[in-house]
Amino acid sequence: MTQDTIVADKLTYHYNDLIAVDHISFSVAKGEILGFLGPNGAGKTTTIKILTGQLKPKGGKVILLGMDVAENIERVQSEIGVCFEDTNLYQRMSALENLDLFARLFGIKSFDAYALLKRVGLAGREKDRVEHYSKGMKQRLMVARSLVSQPQILFLDEPTAGLDPISSEAIRNIILEERKRGATIFLTTHDMMEADKLSDRVAFMNQGKIVALDKPDKLKQKYGKRALKAKVSGKNGALESLEIDLDTPQTPEDIHNLFKKENVVTIHSEEATLEDIFIKITGRGLTE
Amino acid sequence: MNFGVIKALVAKDFALFFRNRFYTLITILGIVTYLIVYFVMPSSVDEELEIGLYAPVIPPVFEVIQQGGGIEFEVYDSEEALKKAVTDGAHEAGVALPADIMEKFASGLKPVVTLYFSTDAPDEIKDIVETMIRELAYLQTGQTLSIEVSAEILGPDLLGEQIPIRDRMRLMLAIMLIMLEMMGLASLISEEVEQGTIRALLVTPMSIRDLFAAKLIMGASLAFVQGALFMAIVGGLSSQPFIVLFALLLGSILFTGSGFLIASVSKDMLSSMGWGITVLLIFSIPSFGVMFPGTVTDWARAIPTYYLTNTIHQASNFNAGWGDIWTDLLILLAFIMVIVWGGIMALRRKFR
Repeated sequence: MTQDTIVADKLTYHYNDLIAVDHISFSVAKGEILGFLGPNGAGKTTTIKILTGQLKPKGGKVILLGMDVAENIERVQSEIGVCFEDTNLYQRMSALENLDLFARLFGIKSFDAYALLKRVGLAGREKDRVEHYSKGMKQRLMVARSLVSQPQILFLDEPTAGLDPISSEAIRNIILEERKRGATIFLTTHDMMEADKLSDRVAFMNQGKIVALDKPDKLKQKYGKRALKAKVSGKNGALESLEIDLDTPQTPEDIHNLFKKENVVTIHSEEATLEDIFIKITGRGLTE
Repeated sequence: MNFGVIKALVAKDFALFFRNRFYTLITILGIVTYLIVYFVMPSSVDEELEIGLYAPVIPPVFEVIQQGGGIEFEVYDSEEALKKAVTDGAHEAGVALPADIMEKFASGLKPVVTLYFSTDAPDEIKDIVETMIRELAYLQTGQTLSIEVSAEILGPDLLGEQIPIRDRMRLMLAIMLIMLEMMGLASLISEEVEQGTIRALLVTPMSIRDLFAAKLIMGASLAFVQGALFMAIVGGLSSQPFIVLFALLLGSILFTGSGFLIASVSKDMLSSMGWGITVLLIFSIPSFGVMFPGTVTDWARAIPTYYLTNTIHQASNFNAGWGDIWTDLLILLAFIMVIVWGGIMALRRKFR
């Protein structure tokens, strides 16, 4: 039996007249990665702020690890790690000093900062001031900082945004390692491929509401359209595109006819992406 | 309170402060510059006598002395003009002769001569001027007790307690020095908000109380150490050192609370400097009153630093004890509580 480590119940938050989070409810099981997707302004960051105790919800409540966040803020925060979207490191301190400071704030007496920095690929640069780091290095240090206390819940807000492929891959590997360790991970991202690859379930957020929440495959089954796309040689030699829907009773006959009647140049199957599904559900793109 | 957390935060703040070249520069430059300013100021008092005179009728003997050039009199058209000149420091003493002086001399009555003295006129000036007026009356009438003298001090009576300008100035220099740290602290907090590091701190088990305690300790200790060091070097602790140090400590807490308020309305380092200079100028006003007695009126009592400057001034320059300054300290404490509390509340809102 899995235990829910994050339970959000009818969370509501508004900035004056603007409703940022509108009665959302969801839960995340221990060791699960929940991808939280939505365009800018959808309410993702406000949700993270509420979950991590930075904001008090105007309505509803959050239970983390069985504790009400509003009533046990310090106990809850000792069990979570947060990686912010914007770089917020102490620039005039070294990576080592940044990690040591946070270890002390968490009350950790024995802490191997070198090992953690090696894990995120910053070995050899431990004593350099952060202001001399590249964006990718800073982001890896942000992830390392969120891991200082070996948290039970990890909140990662766009951890790979704007990074080069190598840094992004390094961070994805760390996310998977943390899940293996048993951490529950709440991940917001714009990168659909990343969400698809890492998340056990994804939640789509739009205009303060969760409009869909399920496993990526199930969402694809429910909302997506599987198709076969082919390029065939036309009568005058020009390439023409054909698409065959894979989920109709007519599909076997259509495929048979394709190969029988057309000169097929290329053929590949296509399934809906999370972005396609998001657009289908909300009528807007994730990057809007 | 978690002292381990507070210690870590204070160490972090000190590291960040001194790794910022600008803060380090203004801290070192501040101490060095203010020490230089103090030591180049004259250490003695200029006791040259200057007298203003209001006389509707000038007795012949006064005219003779004026013409002879033995004493410099500057004649004013009215008694009010004379008083203003003395109050403004144009003369250390002023003499107002009554309009009927000659009639009274003639009838054997004693005219009343009013003497005005500036607040910081030396004690001996009073004796000299009074003796001189009696001598002139004697020369005029040939009688020893021919006038009555009425003396009035314009402004607070510090007669005989005059102090060199640099000792008046050291108070202003010390307070301006520790106020510089108020600006440094405000910038440091603004930087934390601007760079988002405060958000990273607020999602750790650290409590907000620990955060403010650390900022208070850091800001107040940085300011206090500099102020105390400066006062020790310039001899400001030679009289009532415990009162001076206690007042400096309170001042440092006051300025730290003010730093919180400045940080709460600032968006970045530049705006915190702008607000900081504005507050610094307002807070400096009472210390100008110490440097130039009579220039600051009672409205300065609305400025919290009035009670700080007055305490340090009285203790270090006039050897005032706890019994003399306890009301000032109480009022200062009340200001501190309001400002620190207001600063914390304003910053808490900003941190959200």
